[in-house]
Formats: sequence, structure tokens, C-alpha cells
Amino acid sequence: MVPTSARETVGPLSGGPTATHCPYCALQCAQTLLRTPEGRLPVEVRSRDFPTNRGGMCQKGWSSAEVLAAPDRLTTPLVRRDGRLVPAAWDEALDHVHARLEAIRAEHGAEGVAVFGGGGLTNEKAYTLGKFARVVLRTPYIEYNGRFCMSSAAAAANRTLGVDRGLAFPLADLGDADVVLLVGSNPAETMPPLAQHLAGARAQGGLVVVDPRRSATARLTADGGGVHLAPVPGTDLVVLLALTHVLVDEGLVDADYLAARTTGWEDVLASISRWWPERAEAVCGVPADTLRRVARRLAAAAPVHGGGGAYVVTGRGMEQSAHGTDTVSAAITLALALGLPGRRGSGYGPLTGQGNGQGGREHGLKSDQLPGYRHIADPAAREHVARVWGVDPQDLPGPGVPAVELLRRLGTGGGPRALLVHGANLVVSAPNVGAVRKALGRLDLLVVSDVVPSETAMLADVVLPVAQWAEEEGTMTNLEGRVIRRRRALDPPGDARDELWVMRELAARFGVELSDDAREVFDEMARASAGGKADYSGITYDRLDAGEALYWPCPADRPEGTPRMFQDGFATPDGRARLVAVDHRAPADDVTGERPVHLVTGRVLQHYQSGAQTRRVEELVEAAPGPVAELSPVLADTLGLEDGDRVRVSSARGSLTVPARVTDAIRPDTVFLPFHWAGELSANLLTTDATDPVSGMPEFKVCAVRVERVARAVPAPEEVLA
Amino acid sequence: MRVVVIGHGMVGSRFAEELVAADPGAEVTVLGKEPVPAYNRVLLSGVVAGSTDPALLAMAGPAHPRLRVLTGVAAVDIDRQARTVRDATGHDHAYDVLVLATGSAARVPAIQGVADDRGLVPGVHVLKDLADATGIVDQAVGARRAVVLGAGVLGIEVATGLAARGLSVRVVHLGQRLMERQLGWEAAQVAVGSLGRLGITTHVGASVAGVLTRRDRLSGVRFGDGLEAAADLFVMCCGTSPETVLARRAGLTCDRGVVVGEDLCSPDDPAVFAVGDCAQPPEGGRGLVAQGWEQARRLVARLSRADGGPGADGTTDVVRVKAVGLSMVSMGLSGDFDREDPRYRVLSLKDPERGRYVEVVVAGGLLVGATCLGDAEVGATLSALYTRSMPVPEDPALLMVRALAGGGPGVVSRAPADLEDGDRVCSCNSVSAGAVRAAVHGGCRTAVEVSRRTRASTGCGDCRSTVEALVAATASEQGSQQTHPDLVRSQS
Repeated sequence: MVPTSARETVGPLSGGPTATHCPYCALQCAQTLLRTPEGRLPVEVRSRDFPTNRGGMCQKGWSSAEVLAAPDRLTTPLVRRDGRLVPAAWDEALDHVHARLEAIRAEHGAEGVAVFGGGGLTNEKAYTLGKFARVVLRTPYIEYNGRFCMSSAAAAANRTLGVDRGLAFPLADLGDADVVLLVGSNPAETMPPLAQHLAGARAQGGLVVVDPRRSATARLTADGGGVHLAPVPGTDLVVLLALTHVLVDEGLVDADYLAARTTGWEDVLASISRWWPERAEAVCGVPADTLRRVARRLAAAAPVHGGGGAYVVTGRGMEQSAHGTDTVSAAITLALALGLPGRRGSGYGPLTGQGNGQGGREHGLKSDQLPGYRHIADPAAREHVARVWGVDPQDLPGPGVPAVELLRRLGTGGGPRALLVHGANLVVSAPNVGAVRKALGRLDLLVVSDVVPSETAMLADVVLPVAQWAEEEGTMTNLEGRVIRRRRALDPPGDARDELWVMRELAARFGVELSDDAREVFDEMARASAGGKADYSGITYDRLDAGEALYWPCPADRPEGTPRMFQDGFATPDGRARLVAVDHRAPADDVTGERPVHLVTGRVLQHYQSGAQTRRVEELVEAAPGPVAELSPVLADTLGLEDGDRVRVSSARGSLTVPARVTDAIRPDTVFLPFHWAGELSANLLTTDATDPVSGMPEFKVCAVRVERVARAVPAPEEVLA
Repeated sequence: MRVVVIGHGMVGSRFAEELVAADPGAEVTVLGKEPVPAYNRVLLSGVVAGSTDPALLAMAGPAHPRLRVLTGVAAVDIDRQARTVRDATGHDHAYDVLVLATGSAARVPAIQGVADDRGLVPGVHVLKDLADATGIVDQAVGARRAVVLGAGVLGIEVATGLAARGLSVRVVHLGQRLMERQLGWEAAQVAVGSLGRLGITTHVGASVAGVLTRRDRLSGVRFGDGLEAAADLFVMCCGTSPETVLARRAGLTCDRGVVVGEDLCSPDDPAVFAVGDCAQPPEGGRGLVAQGWEQARRLVARLSRADGGPGADGTTDVVRVKAVGLSMVSMGLSGDFDREDPRYRVLSLKDPERGRYVEVVVAGGLLVGATCLGDAEVGATLSALYTRSMPVPEDPALLMVRALAGGGPGVVSRAPADLEDGDRVCSCNSVSAGAVRAAVHGGCRTAVEVSRRTRASTGCGDCRSTVEALVAATASEQGSQQTHPDLVRSQS
């Protein structure tokens, strides 16, 4: 398990080691795959040294080869006949899909068909899926599950900094900072090797973690590593405004930076002035003096006060809110007040979640975007992309609707009648999954491409078996905006095919030609992105394969790329960051007498997203077999329950029954549920589908619930005897 | 809709800004008598303490084409028939809707010699506006002894602020205990001790009968019992009264404040409203800005016929004292109430040695009141529970000590020998201490070998030293002579 050298032969299918990256999160840990023709699994996974993971890998990565050999791996197309999914040949399945789509389009028009992608798809697949929707189907209805992930961070960065690239700097830069402020992010559990980059801040006592739970990451602040702030769920915005308030109040802002590099500071001052620490305390539950201490610590680390640098980093905990865009804006305001973004050794950035959540949103999976992070309503963008695609700009559809709204419209009057799903498990991962399940049931046609029979695939009319990470070529864009190569080590099993091939075949039936060669697709995508914000036109497979570290924007005339953005200015017309005034609002589904406890949802280390992959890996299931509701001893006493009791957690939308785990690592007003499980154990039966007005992000992270005991813990045998 | 707002304080300014934003038909004029635009009055005690720069208190939002703010222009008369407001320059402002946000004025008790025909004598102050605060600060520079009259919230904030500036401070309070609206007897007793540690002497049941002057400046005070004390600064924090002069003159019903209904409208005139400290709504004015802001929000929603949506933090009666070196918060039932009333379950924790006092009041499974001194974490958690009416534990004592645990030792910080086989050593790869021991028993000699076999410390690497120590301990238990000392770093 010792990391192998980064400079090893790249030999897809040559039998030699294959240098690629982990199939899971946006950290994209570097892996080397060795063919093991005689082994139980087709490849052996080794970790590989890379600046992001430094040779580290978590249990998901180490065990990732298990999913290649999942016992229920889909290896043949399935078509539903008489209510049952039965095997079919590819031609039969694709002809059937084509005929049904044509019929639906004839009756309901192009808007009768919708496409839903995923943040795990390669850039090539994301690009092709976007092109397929707009050129072949000509529907505006295309979305992806990244809407549930990064949309608030993206919207806030776009409106303030002019562009969104996740981290605007290489991850390793974090290591040299005095202070790292992590708001609503738990990387020690969700992307463990990242924690190595927090060691520098911890050594200085400068790791600040904002989380209602004493998460694995919050525990890194123990023993002098830093400070953990545990606000009431849904009040991160108050914490951020109060921290900024203290900077203003104590004259700690970087006034020269604000004057030279931003606009709107005067406007946001009024909103900041309303949140002095004592007022914030009563709302967010973080003591006023703690807020002051943290603000001063941040200021001391800022360049303007001669500090060694500070970073403000956000995560889903604060972004997945009906006020997520505003909350991220407050985080950016804090960073700008400290003079951090666009300065070497300091900065702001969100931690992207899904493997290619970044690339997916840049190249066309979002309803309002064309490749290169271009806006679909922008005539120049339409013109450029239409030329690359060889179509009339008039024929490109306009903006669609965000994911939650799209799901609501499925099968309703005027809404889409058919849905094609690629790389998403909607009935587990969307908010308020009870309603989503009903929406899918209203469709005339549901087509799901997947590697395993996910819960969503099992509802489909047609299931198409596709290749997964070690079986395909492509690129991913990691959480720092670096484009990396995914390489094929083996062929997909049985009749499973690459999704590029699936889209090519389907397009051909509509008389449109698409390429299924990843390198060709990438080159076309690079051309389509040229001149856009996410410009890849200077990137080629040859350069990536030669080991170059390429961060976008990387236009052909600046082929060195951009490891650190904003050094000379922001991506706004005048080069200045545009500060946005925001204010706190209560959660959409706030606690009441009837449902007096906050529910927050999140992840456990062993599982990924809807669990479609990780719930098929024995060692991960053994380590984390099912969801448990975490709650504090105080809440347990309030509710009269004990560790191990089975509890029903109910919201206005649904309920589930799980064991309770009593832990002092959570606020006494909050219960935590992980969301990786399906059916009756899906945390998203409870979550609200209220969305952010700017980003369309659902409010996954806070809603009101009631917790009741339904059965006592089964006593241990010795207690029975005693 | 022409709207005239009288008063450009924290509530009037916010109301005006939110109204023009919410209602495209609103043309708003604000008359502010102070020479500066709206600022954060709540933080004036911070100016006195020296922790807040008065230049940074500004609260007024950005300019808006339909919002006209006249700074330093007082309203002098309201003509309800003509629906106009006359300002001090003689100009008349016509309105369809008039909003009184005139705030309140500091009460000046009848003390011999505090004022002459030029106003308060030099060295004597109240604290209500920015000029008062900067006046106190100017006086405090070079002053040595201060007397603060009134030990309510503001009095305590001023006293602690002046003490933080190095002054010797006496607090004189007519009541029998400090902050009687917020603190019960026991809490007040603990607070006296805490103030003493900050260098503040407390005199309860005492009054100031007169001030002594030398060369027209304050030189001391004479207490009600005839004793005298030298002082070069005297600050009167004796409460406020709603500013109702204009309203009374205009024939609007006033009691303590301008009487308004639940809709914030005067019963005498459907075109006149009052918000903030000058208003007296049915539930009574609390003198807290949260109430004024909530009223402003409601009135904006009403006038713009918009759905107000949920408030930011609702109306709350949480009182958080902003005192340097003293954490103090109270809410709901606190101060004077019948602790023997069978409807209430009252628990208290008294720790005068550490300046700590916690009292929680529970009724019907809910927290209906609390007082917390000297424990900021507990105070903050109680506020959050109270404002959201959350249920409390069967044993409310659980709320009184570290309601949110700060972090017991994690598994990895335990000594390796104490780790149970089932304890997880490496979270990233779900490796237990038992698995590490088994690897050593199975022939692994070094931590690197153990990592290779078990994947322990191949994620974030945080547990590396624990794994190394565990390997060393297991190997030595085993009496293994094969373990090379260089290969296993012992735990430091």
C-alpha cells in the first residue's frame, strides 16, 4: 500500500499499471490499478502520490474495485414488459427508447423529454449529454444532481467574484496558512486525505470549524488545534455576519484592499452593522466573546496585519439551505473584508463534493449553461457553441428550470413525459423523495443508465448497463479546478457499454452524429469552451498524459493555465469583486411546538451519495451497516430515550425509524441522520424541497422534526441475567 | 404613497430602507434630529468601554432614489388635518402615512446640582446618543473615579466599560439589588462579587442626593445618607422614557408611549403608526431593538401588502449584557417572579467563587425563563433553546452545565495500552486496535508493514503516531526481539 511513483507507465489495457483517480469524491485521490487476471477482483487498487491526496486514500477508495465486481452488476439492457424488467439486446432496447421518445415528442413537443445527469460523469460524458439534450432532443429540460451540491456556492461566487471554480487555488496552498475557517464542511470524514492540508493551521491553533456537530473535522480543533463553533442549524449566516461585524467594529478590515479591489462595501456595511455579537449569540447560540476571539484570530492571520495567510472554506452544511447563496455571499464578504481572495497564501473557496461536480456544471449539465460555463441566454455564447455544434443558434433551446422544479413538473400538465437519467439515484438523493417517487411514477417513460440496479433504475422502463470508472477514458475536473485524466484499465463486463457509445447510438437513431471517442469529444469540448469562463482550449490529452498540472482557465493563448485565480483582478467587468448585502432569515421549515428538533443530514465516511456503489461493498457495509440518529444526552433525556432505542423521526413530509445513538458530539437541539440509504431508511423522506431563490438549491441541511421512541434497545445478554 | 418617518434611529432607518425596497410605490422622507445618520445605539456602551470605534457605528444603508433622509432636521409639529409634518427649518412634508420612530429619552432624576440652565454640569452625563458616548469618553480620559447611578443593564455596561478603562467605579442603585428586572436575589449577589473582582464597588438601596462641584465642574457626589465621595465622572443610567412630545401635541393618545394597536396604528388616526421605543403596543414596549425591528418588519409587510415571511429572530426578550469581563444573560421569567408558584420548576446553580450562577425555569416542558452569569457557553445555548421554545430535558439540570459538551478525549488520544480491541484507531479505513494487534501478532514488525496490511493511517494520516505506539506496545508485550527500534517511533 505504499504509494507508487507518479511517473509510471500509462498503459490502458496493456496489462501494465494504469494511473487513474478514485471513482468517488471531488478530491479525486490518485490511484494506480494493477490487473489481477487471477484475482477475485479484476484490479488491485494502490494509492499514488499526488498533490491533493499525498498518497492517502480512505476506505472507500481502497475498496473501490469491489464495485467493479458487484454481484448484481448490470451487464445487459433491461426493458420492462408486463411490469417486469427483462433482458434485451442493445438494438432492441435503444430502438424501443427511440420509438417512445419520438412518440412523446410528436405528442408533447421537444419539452416532453427531460434529461438528468450526475456530478460523477466525466467531462466528456457531461458535455455529450448536454449536447444530446440541446441538439438531438432540443429540450430545455436538462439538469443534474450537482444542483443539490454546488449550486449555492456557484451562484454566490458568480455574482460576487464573477466566476466559480471551486477552490481558486491549489489545495496544497492551505497547508501554509495560519488560519483555515471551515464552515459547514466535514472533510475529515467526507474526503479524509484532505485533512493533511489542515495540519499547518492546526499546528498554529488556527483551524476554525463551524458545525452543529463535533464532527471528525471539528475534533481536529481539540488539543490546541483551533476552535469549534457549534451554531444552531440554519444560522451560519449569522455567524459570518457577526464575525465580519467584529472586524468592522474593531477596525480590523483590510480597508486598502476593499477600496482597490471591491465595490459595494458601503452597501453591505449596513447589513453587517445589524449583527453585533450579542445579538448574533441569541440567534446562533455561539457566545459573543467566542465570535470576537475567532474574528481577531482571522484578522491576525490576514496579510494586512502581517499574518501568514488565512482561508475561508465553505461546504454543503451551509450551502444546502433555502438561503444558501446568501450564506456563501456572507462567507465571501468575510474573506474580502480580510483581503484574502486573489492573494497568494490566502483565499476563499468551497469544497466541491462530487467527483466531477465542477466539470459537470461547466460543460452543460445545468439548465442555464452551455459548455465553457457560458450562459445559455447569452446570444454570443449561443452563437459560438452553435457554430462548434454545426447547428443554427435559433435551434438551441433556452434556459430550463432547476432540478427541484424539474422534478416537480414531471408528468404534470405541460411538464416532461419522459426522463433520461445518467449517473444519479434520484429516489434517494433528491429532497422529499416521497414526492420524487410519485413524480417518476407519473412519467410515460423513464430510462436509467447505471452500473448497478440502483433504486431509481429499478423504477425504470428501460435500464441501460454502462461502464464505470476503471472501464472508461475521460477527464475529471477536481475540487481545485485542475483537469485530470481518468484511464481505462479493463473492459466493462458483459454487454455494459460506455455512455458515450449509448448516446452516440441513440443520437444516430435521430439522425444526429455524435462521437464516442473520449479524446475526440474532449477536443471538441475544448473548442466549445474557448472564450468561455471555463476555457479548456489549451488543454489536450497529450499534455495531461505528460503529467502537466493544468488548472482552468487554460486558453490556447495562455497554455500554462491558472493555478491561482484573481491575482490580477476578479472576473467581473471592472475586475472588482461585487459585495452583496444579505440578511438572515429563519429556515423554511423551522422548529415548532409540534416538531421541536432540528434535523441535519450528512455523510458517514464509509458511504458515498445515495450509496448505490458503497452499499454494495461488504467491508463498507460492515463498518456502517445502516443509518442511526445521532442525538445528545440532553435531548435523549428530554425525549426519555436511551442509546440504542429505536426512534421514529418525523417531519411534515415523512418519517423513518432507526436506532438512536446518544453522543455528546451534537447540539442538544439537533438530531443528525446520514442520507446514504434508500427506501424506508432514506433521510430524504424527511427533508424539505424548499429551495434557494437564486441557486435552486434545496434546503437539505435543516428542517423541523419530532423524535419519538418506538421500541427500547434490545438489552445486552448480561443485563438480562443480572 | 408618501411616507414620512420621524426619527432616523435603528428602527426608523431600517423601516424606511425596507419599505422602499418592498414597495415600489413608496416615497419615503425621514426626519432625523441627530446630526449624524442612523447608527448602532446598542453599541454605545462599547464606545464607552473603548472596544467600539464611534466612527464605525453607522447603520444607514445605501442611498435609494425613493428614500430621502434629512439628517440634523428635527420635526417640530404634526398637522393631522392637513397631513403634514413641519420641520425645524419651517418646511412642511406632506404624508399619506406617518410613522413615529422617535425613540426614547434618558431619564434625568431630580438630583440637586446635576444641571444648571446650560444643561448637565461638566462631568455629569447620561448615555443615550453618540454625543453622550463621546462626551463620556472625553471625560474618562484623565478621570480616576467614576460614579454610575442605576444598576440596570446600561448601568452595568457603563460601569464595566469604565472599569476596563482603568477608572475606579462605584455603582449606586436605589433598588435593593442589582438589575432587579433581570436578576433574582442570589444572582444579584453573585454579580456583586463578579463586579468587585473587576474593581467595581456596588451600593444598593442607595441614592445620590446631590452633586458637588468645584469651579463649575463635578468634584464628587453626596449620597442619600449624607456621605460624600470624590468623583470626576458621574453617569446617570436611570432608564428611558418614550419620546412622545410631538404625538401628545398632535392629540394622539399616549400613555407611557404612543398608544398603538396590534397593527401598530394609532387608535386616533388610521394614517399614523408608531414603531420602536416610542410605541406602546398592547403587549407593552420592552425597550429592546429586536422588538422595534420586528415591528418595522410587520409594518413594512402591512403597508406594502406583502407577505412578511418569517422574522429574522422574532420578538425576543433575551437580555444579553455587553459587559467587558462579565458574561450575563437573562430571558423570560427572571428577576422578580414567584419562585414558589407551583406551575414553575425552578432550578439554580450558585458558584460565587467563580462568579457563576445559572437559574432555569421550566413550565409545561418548556424553558420559560433563565438567568446565566459567568458561563457564556451555557448562556448561549439557553438563549437558543428559549427563543425557539424547544422542549427541555426531564432533568433540566442537564442544561445548566456545559449544555454542549466541548469534547472528551477521543479514542486516538488514549494511551495505546488502554485501547480496547474494538476501539477504532483509524477512522478513514475503519481499522480497530485489535486489527493492528492482530497484524503484529501475524508477523508485521513495523508500523509501515501494519499500514500495508490493515490500511491504518493511509487516509488522513492523523493516527500514524497512535499506530506506531500501538505497534511498539504490542511488539514489546509480545517480547519480540525482532522489532528494530529505528523502525518504530515511540510515542513522545
